[in-house]
Amino acid sequence: MKVSRNKVVVTILAGVVLVLFLATVAGLFYYREMIRKLGEVREEVFNEYPRLYAYIADDPDSQLSNRIYKEISEYAVEHDCYVEMTGQNLSSSYSKADRMNIAISSKVDGIILEGDDSEETARLVDKATANGIPVVTVLTDCQTSSRKSFVGLNNYSLGSEYGDQLAAIGEEQKKYPLTALILLDRDDGNADDIIHAAIQQAVVGRSVSFTSAIVDTSSPFTSEESIMNIIDGIDKMPDVIICLNDRTTESAIQCVVEKNLVGKTTILGYYSSDTILKAIDRGSVYATFTIETKTVARQCVNALNEYNNTGFVSEYNPANYIMINRDNVADYEPEDKDEG
Amino acid sequence: MKANFFANMKISRKLVAVFLATSIIAMGVNIFIYLNLNIALDKINQVFSSNISLNELSDNLNQIHAGLTGYLETKGTDDLELYYASTQSMNTLMKDLNDTVTDNSVKLSERDIRNMLETYLATADEAIQAKRGRNIDEYTTKYNECTRIKDYLNTYIYSVNNEQFRTNSNNYNALVNSLRYTEIMSMLIFAVASVMNILLIIILTNTITRPLTRLSAKADEISQGSPENVEPLEVISDDEVGKVTRAFNEMLASIKDYIARIRTQLITQSEMKEKNLLMETHLKDAQLKYLQSQINPHFLFNTLNAGAQLAMMEGADRTVEYIRNMADFFRYNVKKNSETVKLSEEIELVDSYMYILNVRFAGEMLFEKDIDESLLNVMVPSMIIQPLVENSIKYGIKDLEPGEGKITLSVYREGDNCCIRVSDNGIGTDEDIIEKIMSNEKKPSETRGVGITNVMERLDLHYNNREVFEIKSKKNEGTHVTIKIPLEDGNV
Repeated sequence: MKVSRNKVVVTILAGVVLVLFLATVAGLFYYREMIRKLGEVREEVFNEYPRLYAYIADDPDSQLSNRIYKEISEYAVEHDCYVEMTGQNLSSSYSKADRMNIAISSKVDGIILEGDDSEETARLVDKATANGIPVVTVLTDCQTSSRKSFVGLNNYSLGSEYGDQLAAIGEEQKKYPLTALILLDRDDGNADDIIHAAIQQAVVGRSVSFTSAIVDTSSPFTSEESIMNIIDGIDKMPDVIICLNDRTTESAIQCVVEKNLVGKTTILGYYSSDTILKAIDRGSVYATFTIETKTVARQCVNALNEYNNTGFVSEYNPANYIMINRDNVADYEPEDKDEG
Repeated sequence: MKANFFANMKISRKLVAVFLATSIIAMGVNIFIYLNLNIALDKINQVFSSNISLNELSDNLNQIHAGLTGYLETKGTDDLELYYASTQSMNTLMKDLNDTVTDNSVKLSERDIRNMLETYLATADEAIQAKRGRNIDEYTTKYNECTRIKDYLNTYIYSVNNEQFRTNSNNYNALVNSLRYTEIMSMLIFAVASVMNILLIIILTNTITRPLTRLSAKADEISQGSPENVEPLEVISDDEVGKVTRAFNEMLASIKDYIARIRTQLITQSEMKEKNLLMETHLKDAQLKYLQSQINPHFLFNTLNAGAQLAMMEGADRTVEYIRNMADFFRYNVKKNSETVKLSEEIELVDSYMYILNVRFAGEMLFEKDIDESLLNVMVPSMIIQPLVENSIKYGIKDLEPGEGKITLSVYREGDNCCIRVSDNGIGTDEDIIEKIMSNEKKPSETRGVGITNVMERLDLHYNNREVFEIKSKKNEGTHVTIKIPLEDGNV
């Protein structure tokens, strides 16, 4: 009896030892797995693409540029190429010319450039072309250069649209003569001139008086100060302030709110940022125009791909614009939320 | 099979095996954990290696540029050497850089750096060629281009370095955190392995000591008595304990065998004792018969003498009577030789004897009887009274004047005894003779005769008790001999 009990105890102990042994072995394997996984922390998953395009914005911090870049990136990865916003995430910020140089020396397969009329830009576009890099301009053209294609709005029709809205404000307010202040961008001389002309053309025959001022957008902080100075320097507040880009629009909104001019003046803006949409809702902005970024992005990537594949591409790809006012602002609010 | 193999090992080897097994397990676990921990530490060390290589890249670039600048300034050969040496090592370093387009920002930056470096090196080469061609404008432009690209490159390297440092730091933190988990894990594994080792030692030690414990328990069992009921131990192993167990079993078997032998011996001995006793009895019986046979011829001789004398003196009637008595007497002797008889028969024998004697001695002897009739049927050994009467006559009253001698036979009850007393009024017996008779020292020839000794011995054998017999005597007043027969179921 005593022996059999002893045997039972030994058998139980042996069972426990077996279980512990298995647990140890399993533990060691699990442990090894843990150690192996330690190394995997660093290994990131990434996709490779055959082509790299550079996106060079006029102002890399501009919301519109960022939106366009986002759309281009999303569209590009679906079409076997990757778009890099040159100069982004660097320790120092570079000028557009430097970013062009970087893009050229890092041998990208194509450049999407927010063009301008400056000679330097044209020279760099030519340099890129000389290095076998096709350049597509977006939003603003660089007509004098050897760029392969332009994707953007027809500035004249945009100006006409501005004019129509100005006329509508006049009709609404029954306030003649209507005074309008056009805030022009220092860098976008040619494009802005066309818009300016188109606006004037559109309101011919109506009692509208125009004044214009140039906003200093040379650095990220100057535009708001510049607008503040312009408004401060005006004797009589204009009935309408016309802004031709997103930063100017936002700065103008800020000035109007700060100086308590809501109701005394209204803004015709550009782009559809959160701030601008809210301002429409609150009445400080009468209407805003925005480009169809998805289309623009698609056109840019397609133009470069087409050129790289065939060596030919259409020189102009017109983009559509959308007008947002109180009537349709509700439709656009959600889209802006993810801009954050 | 394995268990048997272990069981059959020597104890010393078993112990070594136990400690080796547990030590190997502990060591194996330790080495495993140590090696893997080392791998983990190596991985942690590798985390910042990308930063280090980027810094090397930056240093190398600055050296190339210094060489380029120096050569363009002074056309110095040292500078050119520095330029070429650095370019060569740069070409090696560049190979480690990614050259594909990816959506990983660091990898993409690496590609940009690589391409920019290529551009830089190409431009620098052009500048050096221009310097050799003394084309000042050309090499100045190229140099400016190089400076610009170098500036971009430094920014890129710095940024990527920063970015990588941030990622690496995150990785480092993640690694260190997971390392903490692995530490806990390794502690757990080690604890489990230790518990397992302890249990293993307990089991294996138990395997070694269990047979010993069983053996000592058996030994205890034996020491408590009755080893014949103890079963032999089962021999489990073939080690030292197994051998001891086997020897123990053999010892147990021989103890059992020994006990059995002793038991048989005892039985034989007691049987022999019994036989001896029986033989002794038979011997005594034979002796008795011999003694009885000694009496008869002696008596027969005397009586026949007397018969002859009587025949000569008288007529036939009395002779007839005499011979009848004598015949009775002999018949009795022949018939009742060694068995017990009724007291009445003994008395009849004495009557016959006295008749014969009175015939012989011409009625000179007085014979009186005082008998308790109720005791006549008491069984007594035969031939016990007549020898006493004969003795009384021979040593007591033979020398008295004719007609004075008197023999009295009394049979009476005294307590649980039937007393038979033969008294005479003769000369009596000396004290020391009585003592000698009673202590059986006296030979028959020296005593009051064969008769009394024989009677005493027979009574002794029959009753195992000397006190049955009693002799009392006073000088010149006669002798009283008393036999006390115990009244028991057997003899009534």
